[in-house]
Amino acid sequence: MAQSEFMSPQQDALEHLRVIRSLMEKAHIYRAISAPAAALGGILSVLCAGFAGWSIVQGQGLAVERGSWFLVEWLLILGVTGTVNVLLLAGEARRRGQPLVSDGMRMALRALVPPLLVGGVLGVGLIVYLHNHVMAVLIWVVCYGLALLATSSFSPKSLIRLGWVFVILGLLSFVAWASSGEIRNLPHDQGLAALLMGVSFGLCHIIYALCVFLSPKQEALVVPR
Amino acid sequence: MIDFDQLDKTIHEKSRLSIMTLLASRGEWAFQEMKSELGMSDGNLITHLRTLGTAGYVREQRDESGTRPRTTYHLTSEGRVAFKRYVDVLEAIVKTINPS
Repeated sequence: MAQSEFMSPQQDALEHLRVIRSLMEKAHIYRAISAPAAALGGILSVLCAGFAGWSIVQGQGLAVERGSWFLVEWLLILGVTGTVNVLLLAGEARRRGQPLVSDGMRMALRALVPPLLVGGVLGVGLIVYLHNHVMAVLIWVVCYGLALLATSSFSPKSLIRLGWVFVILGLLSFVAWASSGEIRNLPHDQGLAALLMGVSFGLCHIIYALCVFLSPKQEALVVPR
Repeated sequence: MIDFDQLDKTIHEKSRLSIMTLLASRGEWAFQEMKSELGMSDGNLITHLRTLGTAGYVREQRDESGTRPRTTYHLTSEGRVAFKRYVDVLEAIVKTINPS
């Protein structure tokens, strides 16, 4: 507090108001998706999409057909990543002396569930009943982005940026896909859908995790004396 | 003209101000959570919480029902009023700054 002794009362007051503002902002931040879980999901997605890419290279072309495995594989990845995410959030909550279902988590669930539910039901419906994998993936990508953006009032900036990346990528991919009849009319679209999943849920999550790991941690505002 | 003595001396200390701010931002905070958020040592945090408790601004609550006892803190209505008054005075002081 020696610094305060050399400050004018106005500067001192300004400094104290800054402390209040930063702490108020910090106290309301909740990271619903932990970076290690995002990295794991990203790596699994890239591996899964890589397998589809390998099939294409093997000569089957983009029109690769792998039966109902597409949905099973991606639901498995979602299950594994989701479980790891919950375990990591539980560990973090325990470390902070908070219950897992904290005010922050309730707030996050309220924001995340509606767009994820809509995307999930529409996507699965498109795959199971209409066999339109690309459209399902595009809906998943856009709805996931919208879900992240719905948490913008309490999420760290990195998650909000990730939300925008998903929304923009989903919309651009839709325009590219819709405007290209040759690709749209492939006999089977699982290969292309897998590649889209790899780029969006794979690469974007890996880049997000790297940005979080490499960013300097916010320092505590009060220095222990 | 601002009377700087209007600033509540109990709150006008960075550590205690930070504690008051956290408690004002949300209903209740567990001790460990507050410690991790503020980066303070156990002893330092307890001392400041006691000071705020003695002033009647903060109330402690112990929950022994779980496997581990959990201590949480929250602002009293007196503490909430004092914090608001403190922020108002700070704002009034800042307004006296000459932009030039």
